[in-house]
Amino acid sequence: MVEPGAGHTPAPTGQGFGRVLVAVYGIFALAATSRSAVQLATKFAEAPLAYLLSAFAAIVYIVATVSLARGDATSRRLATVAISIELVGVLIVGAASVLIPSVFEHPTVWTGFGSGYGFVPLVLPFVGLWWLRHTR
Amino acid sequence: MTGTYATVITVVALLFAGWALISAASNRHPTLLLFAAGVLLEALLVGFAVGGIVQMAESGRHFARAEFVGYLLGSLAIPPVAFYWASGEKSRSGTVVIALAFLITPVMVLRVQQVWAGSVG
Repeated sequence: MVEPGAGHTPAPTGQGFGRVLVAVYGIFALAATSRSAVQLATKFAEAPLAYLLSAFAAIVYIVATVSLARGDATSRRLATVAISIELVGVLIVGAASVLIPSVFEHPTVWTGFGSGYGFVPLVLPFVGLWWLRHTR
Repeated sequence: MTGTYATVITVVALLFAGWALISAASNRHPTLLLFAAGVLLEALLVGFAVGGIVQMAESGRHFARAEFVGYLLGSLAIPPVAFYWASGEKSRSGTVVIALAFLITPVMVLRVQQVWAGSVG
């Protein structure tokens, strides 16, 4: 990562293609939040790990959505952190759910690399990080 | 909570989504006509939410009521938020945002029905 020179203003992350990217992140924030709300409220005891993961994913998506939409320097850093966590999360949870399926019988947004959501959760962090780089 | 009305919303939302996608593909930013489509869909969703909450109040059955109302209100929020977010965009990206909102509406309707049936996981 090369620091941009003095006087260099990065392009906003929430415009053009970023407008669509933020919308997709928003949809996943909504999906993960509502799913984990249902899970935590109705059957937390059944699978605490999976349901806490759902809630964690929800928070990551919310932070990514808001920070990409805002797009100032601080938000850009925050978005990079959130999307990196998202990438690690979907890879680890995806791999773990394939290797030890018994632990992940209850679905989360990242189970099976996001197969329940058309693998968009796997693709999204790559697109997000690319977009942050592209607009820098 | 199932049946014709939900199907109508689904079909209308998908038709509008197709329209928005074609419109975006031909490089148009959101038009007033597309906004009118959003208003119509929102009106249908308000009917769905009111009907759903009335049916819930009349039903003695046990199901996840808070989540049911949550999904109904969530589906109501989507078109206004999408049009607000698209309004600041002068390119076709705004039209794609609206297409996404129309595409996600049938999913929300489906989730409402799943919660109603008690089969949400």
